[in-house]
Amino acid sequence: MNISSSEAEEALAVIQAMMTRTRRAISSSGAFIFMIVWGVVWLLGFLSSQFLSQEIANNVWMILDILGGILSVVLGIRMNRGIRSTATTTSGKRIAFFWLLVFVYCVAAVAIAWPSDGKQLAMFIILFVMVGWAAMGLLLSFASVWPGLIITVLALVGYFLLPGIFYLLMAILGGGGMIALGLYIRSRW
Amino acid sequence: MTQLNETIHQPVRLRIMAALVTLGPGEEVDFSTLRNLLEVTDGNLGAHLRKLEEAGYIAVNKIFVERKPHTYVSGTATGRKVFHEHVAALQSILKSK
Repeated sequence: MNISSSEAEEALAVIQAMMTRTRRAISSSGAFIFMIVWGVVWLLGFLSSQFLSQEIANNVWMILDILGGILSVVLGIRMNRGIRSTATTTSGKRIAFFWLLVFVYCVAAVAIAWPSDGKQLAMFIILFVMVGWAAMGLLLSFASVWPGLIITVLALVGYFLLPGIFYLLMAILGGGGMIALGLYIRSRW
Repeated sequence: MTQLNETIHQPVRLRIMAALVTLGPGEEVDFSTLRNLLEVTDGNLGAHLRKLEEAGYIAVNKIFVERKPHTYVSGTATGRKVFHEHVAALQSILKSK
């Protein structure tokens, strides 16, 4: 079988495009929806912390977290990547166990340190979630490490330098950033 | 120098193999997901999958999930090897230009 160099070039371009398309379909399908869900939770939760009394904001956060958790579980169950794998199932269980550990360590750290105000509590949670995000990024997709690092830096800057608008900053840049990133992944991947 | 593989070089089969080698080891893709990725009809995809299966390049796994039949497709070790050889042959044609 003989083909010209232009045909060979065309075939290689077709292969490359198909591999990229498949990789994106596998890795991105559905993942963006979790970013949007938790972006909305952060946006509404931090806005309530900024503008409502602490008692009401705590209740808003509790309701949002429960709704976000239920929605994540439902979406996770309904999400069909169209891929079956024994290896994926194993790593999926390990990822779930890892997040469970992050949650337990976060609760333990909060119980020991017992933060005196809402901003400290928010920073504890943000830092633990972002450590988990970074670990997932390093294991699964290095490019996804950066948004997590940016949110961490923004949170630290807000906490230490702009305490008066810390919640507002986290609502717009943290929550809004996650929503924007989720929409970007959906449209570009 | 490795030779081009006529079975794989057909455009749809080339794209099928490219999609399947992108999956991780032990992973298999649902027939409808593969059809959507390739943007081909059920009949067209089925015909090309049969050719590749006969050549031993892919494995077709038919199972029932919640009483519904599902067809999953994966690349075999032979298929992956042959595909990489085909890509190498294409690259060598470009280099010798």
